[in-house]
Amino acid sequence: MTVTTTKTIIREHETDLVVREAQTIADDVVVLTLAAPDDAELPAWTPGAHIDLILGDDLTRQYSLCSSPSKPNVWRVGVLRAPDSRGGSERVHSALTSGSTVRVRGPRNHFPLVTSSRYLFIAGGIGITPILPMIAEAEAAAADWRLIYGGRERASMAFLDELAQYGDRVTVVPQNEMGMLDLESVLGSPQPDTLVYCCGPEGLLSAVEKFCENWPPGTLHLERFSAKPQEPVAEADSSFELVLERSGLTLQVPPDKSVLEVIRAAGVSVLASCLEGVCGTCETEVIDGDVDHRDSVLNEEEQAANEYMMVCVSRCNSPRLTLDL
Amino acid sequence: MSLDVSTRSRLPRVHPRNCWYMLATSEEVGREPLGRRALDTGVVLYRTTDGTPVALEDRCAHRPYPLSLGHIEGDNIVSGYTGFVYDAQGFCVHVPTQSEIPVGARVPAFPVHEDGVFVWAWLGEPALAALRPPPATPWLSDPGWATLGDVWETEADVLLLHENFADITHVAVVDPFIAPPVLRSSPPPLEVEVTETTVSFSRTYEPAPIPAWQAELLELPADAEHVQHEHGAFVTPGLWVDRWDVRVESAPNETKIHTFRFTHALTPISSGRTRHAWRVSRNFALGEQAGRALLPIFTDYYRRVQRILETMQDVLDADGPRKEINVSADAAALQVRKIIRNMVADETGARFRGARSTGAARAH
Repeated sequence: MTVTTTKTIIREHETDLVVREAQTIADDVVVLTLAAPDDAELPAWTPGAHIDLILGDDLTRQYSLCSSPSKPNVWRVGVLRAPDSRGGSERVHSALTSGSTVRVRGPRNHFPLVTSSRYLFIAGGIGITPILPMIAEAEAAAADWRLIYGGRERASMAFLDELAQYGDRVTVVPQNEMGMLDLESVLGSPQPDTLVYCCGPEGLLSAVEKFCENWPPGTLHLERFSAKPQEPVAEADSSFELVLERSGLTLQVPPDKSVLEVIRAAGVSVLASCLEGVCGTCETEVIDGDVDHRDSVLNEEEQAANEYMMVCVSRCNSPRLTLDL
Repeated sequence: MSLDVSTRSRLPRVHPRNCWYMLATSEEVGREPLGRRALDTGVVLYRTTDGTPVALEDRCAHRPYPLSLGHIEGDNIVSGYTGFVYDAQGFCVHVPTQSEIPVGARVPAFPVHEDGVFVWAWLGEPALAALRPPPATPWLSDPGWATLGDVWETEADVLLLHENFADITHVAVVDPFIAPPVLRSSPPPLEVEVTETTVSFSRTYEPAPIPAWQAELLELPADAEHVQHEHGAFVTPGLWVDRWDVRVESAPNETKIHTFRFTHALTPISSGRTRHAWRVSRNFALGEQAGRALLPIFTDYYRRVQRILETMQDVLDADGPRKEINVSADAAALQVRKIIRNMVADETGARFRGARSTGAARAH
């Protein structure tokens, strides 16, 4: 009986889907309805989940699922055309029309809806997309919830028609009519047993983060559009030893290589997607080592717990880092 | 009408509740009340006059006596001690001593799904059942497939069963007779695929002989070599669906794929105790004679697995858990653990290691 190491390749579900419908539902917002070519069931997901649209070489973008988990044969994403973006939304708007095929990876979920009796949802602009299935679920579970939804103007705000069914649980705040979201009035005094879910542009997220500092730990759940601004690193990165426990490998991480690059160069398969510490795909269990967290996924408590790290961006302050890989 | 009562002490573990779990086979549920335990909850199952399955909490609202020890009257169930009568939605509709129904007299009713083979129930947040379609296992009732199997209780936590199904390397060790010979050779690369809620693994083996008993069924020479493919899928915390394909060149330019599909419906009864319904379906040798030959082979194998898992549970109960050494091939099992852990954390209001304040980014 010969024994060699079992090579294990780990990857996310990836498949070609057909655009069944591409509908412009607000200024610069297109909603894509995606299905398998044979309309087979797609992988199950829960509110807050997102998928990658693989739009070309080096052009992969994440979009929240905004359909219902009760409809397993279709996925729906809403995409805002952002002229200053890196080209992803432009490609979606110009190239994806009814009948076209798109490569899709996922779903994954780093913005899960945790069970609670009360929720406060805050959405800015296209950040409404992950919130839609969340409020459907909160409503079904008879939770006490509110949504504050801000946008530039009514015409730019997607899904107002779908939100109408919820009556006064939803507060729509078009900036040109009512000004900015009044966060002070909704977040000024901490509410007991309430979870806050927020998705939108960075300005809104940092403001909400600030207001929630006085709320009980674990209250705030938010999702960013792009990497959180990082403090500039004063010193140059140093090298450290990397031990992959399950694989039985000891490697060296030089200053100019990421942990992920070194893992992959050694032939060990590890999940990764965005490569900038925002999508959470490469989260890896830390066995030992003082991690230098540089991601936008883990909160301060989680970073301090030192149990998980995003190997695409985070490094190590101690001479050795041991991972469960 | 038996009641499952846990008699063994075990480490406290929590299982996801927002999931469809198999409570009984369709034949088991009829016009007599059937008492079952799942997720530390007593459930009584019966059918209304039109055949619709009903699942209620198995405890009269008046006195702590199981409804499963009562009887069915029309669409209602009558407590065998208090005489309280409950309808199929769990509302009390009659009490023996007064004409008024006490306010709030009801027992919880659980959403039920029947697929013709199994009766599934949702013991989590009732409103979410409609938002989580039950998994489909159409091959179990498809005439193109012949299916055999059994259901029993295993005195081991469901997590041990998940870990067992997440890697089939042990099959060759546990039962050399049933194991395809390729499992004893150096295995080809294992591909593990994950989504938010599922994990699957697969690998394709170079041409090799198949087990003697399978060659006999397929009327193939015992030493003939065939490409074989394994695939295993953690569909939900209550269901694994696995497959073993044998490719046979039946004629020049014609390949037939002979497939075994393995369906494992797993239901945590309590911590350390699991109901395990297994089905082995095949799309070849559909006759009853083949079924009679295969049933003892698979029963013997799954009984062996059951004894091993129960022994592991005994070790855990006696000595407690320890940090275990994992290997590269455990990737699927570790992903399964992660999904289950996150589900439990979301349900209990504490996302794993405390609620997150940040999440993934999207590039809108």
